[in-house]
Amino acid sequence: MTPLLLAEFGDPDALLAAARRAREAGLRGLDAHTPFPVDGLPDALGLPPNRLRLHMLLAGLAGAAFTYALCWYSAVVAYRFDAGGRPANSWQTFLVVSFEVGILAAAVAGFVGFLAAAGLPRLHDRIFAAPGFDRASQDRFFLSVADPDTDPVRLAALLDGLGPLSVQAVAP
Amino acid sequence: MSGAGGLLPQGASYGGLVSTVADPLMLRPAGRRYWIAFGVTFVMTLGFVGCIAWLFIKGIGIFGNNTTIVWGFPIANYVWWVGIGNAGTLISSMLLLTRQPWRAAINRFAEAMTLFAVSIAGLFPILHLGRPYLAYWLAPYPNTMQLWPQWRSALVWDFWAILAYLLFSIMFFTLGLLPDLATLRDRAETRAGQVVYGALAMGWRGSARHWALHDSVYRAMAAMAVPLVVSVHSVVGMDFAAGLMPGWQESIFPPYFVVGALFSGFAMVVLLAALMRRGFGLESVLTTRHFESMAKVILAASIVMGLSYLTEWFMSWYAGERAERTFLIHQLTGDDAALYWSMLACNVLAPHVLWFTRARRSVAILIVVSLLVNVGMWMERILIIWDTLSHDYLPSMWRPWYATIWDWAVLAGSLGFFAFMFMCFARLLPVVAMHDLSRLLYRQRGGA
Amino acid sequence: MTDAPSLTRRQAALGLLASAVSLSACGKPAEEIVPYVEQPERIVPGVPLRFATSLALNGYGRGVIVSSIEGRPTKVEGNAGHPASLGSTDAFAEAAVLSLYDPDRSRAVREGTRIASWDGFLTALRPRLRRFEATGGEGLRLLTGHVTSPTLLRLMGQVQARYPAMRWHGYEPIGDSNARAGAVLAFGRPLASLAQLDRAVVVLALDADPLGPGPDQIRHARGFAAHRTARWENKAALSRFYAAEPVLTATGAKADHRLAATPTLVRDLAIALASRLGSGRPAPVLPPEAQRFLDAAAADLQSRPGEALVLVGEWQPPEVHALAHWINARLGAPVEHIEPVGPAEPPAPLDALIEALAAKQVDTLVVLGANPAYDASAGFAQALGGSGAFSVHFGPYHDETAALCRWHLPESHPLEDWGDLRATDGTASLAQPLILPLYNTRSAPWLLGALLGTDEATAHAAVRDTWAAQRPPETFEAWWRQVLHDGVVADSAAPRVTPPPSALPDLAPPVAPAELTLVLRPDPSVWDGCFANNAWLQECPKPLTRQVWGNAAMLSPEDARRRKLSNGDVVRLALGGRQIDAPVLVRPGTAPGVVALTLGYGRRRAGAIGDGLGADAYALRSPDAPWIMAGLTMEGTGGRTNLLFEQPDRRLEGEARALFPTVRADELARGESRPPVWPPSLNPDRVSDTHAWAMVIDTSLCIGCNACVIACQSENNVPVVGPDEVARGREMHWLRIDTYDLGPPEDPRPGFQPVPCMHCEHAPCEPVCPVEASIHDAEGLNVQVYNRCIGTRFCQANCPYKVRRFNWFGYADGQEYANQGAPVLAAQRNPEVTVRARGVMEKCTYCTQRISAARRSAEREGREIGAREVVTACQSACPSQAITFGDLKHPDSPITALRREPQHYALLGHLGTRPRTTYLAAVRNPNPAAEEGGS
Repeated sequence: MTPLLLAEFGDPDALLAAARRAREAGLRGLDAHTPFPVDGLPDALGLPPNRLRLHMLLAGLAGAAFTYALCWYSAVVAYRFDAGGRPANSWQTFLVVSFEVGILAAAVAGFVGFLAAAGLPRLHDRIFAAPGFDRASQDRFFLSVADPDTDPVRLAALLDGLGPLSVQAVAP
Repeated sequence: MSGAGGLLPQGASYGGLVSTVADPLMLRPAGRRYWIAFGVTFVMTLGFVGCIAWLFIKGIGIFGNNTTIVWGFPIANYVWWVGIGNAGTLISSMLLLTRQPWRAAINRFAEAMTLFAVSIAGLFPILHLGRPYLAYWLAPYPNTMQLWPQWRSALVWDFWAILAYLLFSIMFFTLGLLPDLATLRDRAETRAGQVVYGALAMGWRGSARHWALHDSVYRAMAAMAVPLVVSVHSVVGMDFAAGLMPGWQESIFPPYFVVGALFSGFAMVVLLAALMRRGFGLESVLTTRHFESMAKVILAASIVMGLSYLTEWFMSWYAGERAERTFLIHQLTGDDAALYWSMLACNVLAPHVLWFTRARRSVAILIVVSLLVNVGMWMERILIIWDTLSHDYLPSMWRPWYATIWDWAVLAGSLGFFAFMFMCFARLLPVVAMHDLSRLLYRQRGGA
Repeated sequence: MTDAPSLTRRQAALGLLASAVSLSACGKPAEEIVPYVEQPERIVPGVPLRFATSLALNGYGRGVIVSSIEGRPTKVEGNAGHPASLGSTDAFAEAAVLSLYDPDRSRAVREGTRIASWDGFLTALRPRLRRFEATGGEGLRLLTGHVTSPTLLRLMGQVQARYPAMRWHGYEPIGDSNARAGAVLAFGRPLASLAQLDRAVVVLALDADPLGPGPDQIRHARGFAAHRTARWENKAALSRFYAAEPVLTATGAKADHRLAATPTLVRDLAIALASRLGSGRPAPVLPPEAQRFLDAAAADLQSRPGEALVLVGEWQPPEVHALAHWINARLGAPVEHIEPVGPAEPPAPLDALIEALAAKQVDTLVVLGANPAYDASAGFAQALGGSGAFSVHFGPYHDETAALCRWHLPESHPLEDWGDLRATDGTASLAQPLILPLYNTRSAPWLLGALLGTDEATAHAAVRDTWAAQRPPETFEAWWRQVLHDGVVADSAAPRVTPPPSALPDLAPPVAPAELTLVLRPDPSVWDGCFANNAWLQECPKPLTRQVWGNAAMLSPEDARRRKLSNGDVVRLALGGRQIDAPVLVRPGTAPGVVALTLGYGRRRAGAIGDGLGADAYALRSPDAPWIMAGLTMEGTGGRTNLLFEQPDRRLEGEARALFPTVRADELARGESRPPVWPPSLNPDRVSDTHAWAMVIDTSLCIGCNACVIACQSENNVPVVGPDEVARGREMHWLRIDTYDLGPPEDPRPGFQPVPCMHCEHAPCEPVCPVEASIHDAEGLNVQVYNRCIGTRFCQANCPYKVRRFNWFGYADGQEYANQGAPVLAAQRNPEVTVRARGVMEKCTYCTQRISAARRSAEREGREIGAREVVTACQSACPSQAITFGDLKHPDSPITALRREPQHYALLGHLGTRPRTTYLAAVRNPNPAAEEGGS
């Protein structure tokens, strides 16, 4: 298992700079842990864009289409009857429910998709063992490097001048 | 970022913000006032349950409804609660999309408010049924009766709108809550706290990769929330507008219901904000700037409401339908006229005090106005039902209407239940989104 | 758990039973069990049998046909062969079947308060009878109501013959003594006169209400209809009605010209009219309005000799009756005269009995079908109490009189035993039992038999003897079966007699006009009080006021304003030392200076339903002037009660007048025949290859008599909700008769508009139902599927006609009002119609069960359903035949023509609902000469 190195910073800008350097230095397995989304960090780390929104759109459309089909089937085929002289396929009214269900389907896709893509729920991660990591959700900003060809010393050297509060290797 | 001044305490730090929100939960004991309030709301909740039990035993007849006015309090309560419910998610998502810096402090409990209000709202259509134990017949599923829902009925639209909205809001709320749960997990001193919050946080570790996913989904959902909310309350409006009755059959209903929802919702948010602020000493993050901004929205909404009423009157007169006119006259001069005028006073008149900056900045005045608005909006809902049903086409069936003790008891019970759920929420979850606050601070410092 | 507790218990019990049965099924039970192998003759499970019989009102018979299902009488309908029914019914006849199952009926012989036995009574009676045989019946008194039954009269004759000294007293709270006396004044002998409205073209009703409740209502209604059915193809002249009356009546409501007149003014009108016709008597000076009214009426009457008719109500004093006889003679009015129906010479009056009781001359008193302790003057109760007489009460209820008598004997319901009756025109009809007596009760012939010394006399034998005596024995059986089948004895009507030339009465000097006059009337719901315990009738909205569950003192708006009284204010009415408290009901159309009260309320021992409702008008009644009493004083007590109405608002003003269109006869003649036109619709037009049911209601024929309302209730198992629920506006009647005042308060001119479900082709209730409980069937019925309904009530909320009814509680399902949940009442239910559960919406179905019955028989016989084969309950009940039902697709169905009438309209047709129930506008035929006047 590749060792995991953590560099701890006191404020997001330093982290950003560190991320850029690490990336320019060609380190692999870059990630960061911050209490809030730091704008620009994904680019700095070179994270790939995600396709979640596309999935949501497709799920939404599918849900709406299915609902309309259900309305049509039940009102025109399965149980056709006269309600106030309205046409059997009262599409105007069927659209209402289709819309609601469409949105719901998209939302579910988004929520589930997020968990799946993020690999959550996951109750334990070795990173939690890192001393001081509990502040990653409060006021500390961590750069994590999972690169077999580097070690804390080289990372510290690389980040020299950015004033990391600590650089450590997480016990495997 | 511009216009963000005065939203955060001077010299705020990331850690400081977090502890402002988290400490009341983790460190400080609840205190006597809290427990008294908790007890009261708990008793009211028990009363609510009792009323429902009695309703099921005795039958729907315990309410004041009659052959002509077949709908009464339950439906009015339903519309009112949905209205309040609609605001939370709408506020949260709209402010997010429009990048309003003052969103950060209020979105969390606004969303919580939505969850509770919508759940209660969802109860009423079931409670008002003659045979509530058959409510599930509205759901489409292959059954031995070979029967499907009647998709043309606005009630079926309701069923789906409320269902979709409730589930959506739960997911939206959970998504926003996840990082804060992690924060609580990391701050928890007791083992129990660590285990519970840890489990709820689902292993969130603030990874930049996760943040990116989180951000894109959250924003996408916010973008969907707006049309969803609009559709939900439009559907509620169509419960009436799709009918044939004078005073109901109006194309203005959907938009006017949506604005009404926003209106009462913001009023409720103001009340809750004031409560949170006082109860948890959040003066530093819930500033007068927040209240001022909400006040402006309330004022704007009340003007739109006024216009809607005007349009209603004009159309009733202009349409030239006999029943419409008699209805309008009844509305303005009939048995419930006093109620109607006080409704106008609450919804259209009272908010105009907010033209004055001092009023907007005074929490006390805002509380009064918000109370009036919520009362006024409830009156509007009950009047929509009474006036129309008690005065439609055939004078022979015109009837007066009297609320029974049970009508009031159920309404009070629902309020108590709502307050109870909120009390629990306030002690168990961060009432303000901490990561949003920190991000706001970061942006104020001109980060990135 | 949401079901009524009782129901769940019942289900539990059933479950237990089922399991027990399944268990015991393994072994043969110890007792012998008899399977249902021999089908009782004629009884086919599920197929109703229909028997002709007769029901009495005031002693006069009205022929009816009663349906019996598996031996249970469930529905009363008219007998077309009977002159007092003509195939229709009235509210009282329709409701009789509920009284049969009334849980409060007396079930046991009582001596004082103890339960006793019939034998016990006989042993107590015998020694006295032996003594009477010796004394010739000295001290034996018999008190009955008005008796027309040939059998009872025969038996009473025998009793009289056996005990010559016995005295028979008769008392009927709503009698015809004034009319009798008037006839005596006019003709010298008490002839009964039968007005023939079907031959009258101009009618002047002087405080008369031929269309109102009474033994002759149906016959008069049919006669009225004969000249008011305005149809496009027959341009026959319509009749014209004038009415002068102190209280608004059905006749006054239908009249083309109505004058609200105090009783004295009515009398003056009669005198003035007589002098106009040459009586030679001085005409009193009339107020200008009355003068105009009279001029118009007189001219009209004189212009139609032989077809003009003047009617006077029983309420008017004899001299006015006599004047009317004289006037009618002058006009050659279509009136027939017969010898009074009933005993040859009238029995002694009640006061004679009261004196005798007071003087302790009465040894034994037998009260037979009368309740004087309630409906006679207070003297009777005291006298009886003090007399120490051996008093026997024989009646269906343990009522006020029974409570005073030593013995109470329970009487069978008319549907439980044999009997015979005569109608107002003397036509005799037989009453045959539909069911064995539910309780240990007996009928009058048995009691009279007992007086004659035969303990085992049966009504059946008595009736047969009566009629066998008049026929050759060999033909009797055949004749008997024929009569039972028809329900009428052919050509048994009393012979018409030509009256002697009528004399003019010498008129008493006019009484000084009193400030307030009390006017008493029979009650349209409970008549004289004998129907007080009938829940259907109590909850039946009274015509013209729509009041339920009580009566009230009716005032004119003027008087109310002057005394600052409004609906529900309790006033104290005092008259000659007697006084009662009653709530005020302001009814436009009441003559100023008149306070009107209906009889039959304030019952003390009617039963769970009737006790303690309303004000007892009998307490104010004076024997000498039973109907009109001057010198009333009235002051407010400050109290208030909540009057119960099923239509709180009767006004119809401004644009709303369009809801009740009226047409003048001449306008109608100019109209042209065309099919109904509907507003355009985006919805596709349905093509159906089957029946298209529709109903047309002619509002110019409807007299608001409520027969249809009760008919609907009994046909469709419509539950009673009780006063409290009515107060909350939760009545359940599927069919309501909306009554609107179309004129100003001084001349309200009410109109009746029966409103059943409209069965709209584009029904607003259907698309809003989420569970398909309210849907449309192929034949155009808007059907309500009870077991699908979950009770959202959206359908009713969206129904512009508000014809749907919701079971807020289990009104028929475990949460019934008062004693309406008693098991015995379940026997009345129509098995063809679901009894609705709590939380379910219901409404008029066009009697879909009758449609499907017709369809079944048609299919069985492989034919089409006939044009007039399906008859709804309301239609069959309607005395004036205002309701027509039929198939729009059927070539010779009357419906199609009616829908082409010029005066045809659809209620709220502009909403595009395309109702299948439509109306014919009320046609009025005012006298052009008097338009600016009384109209």
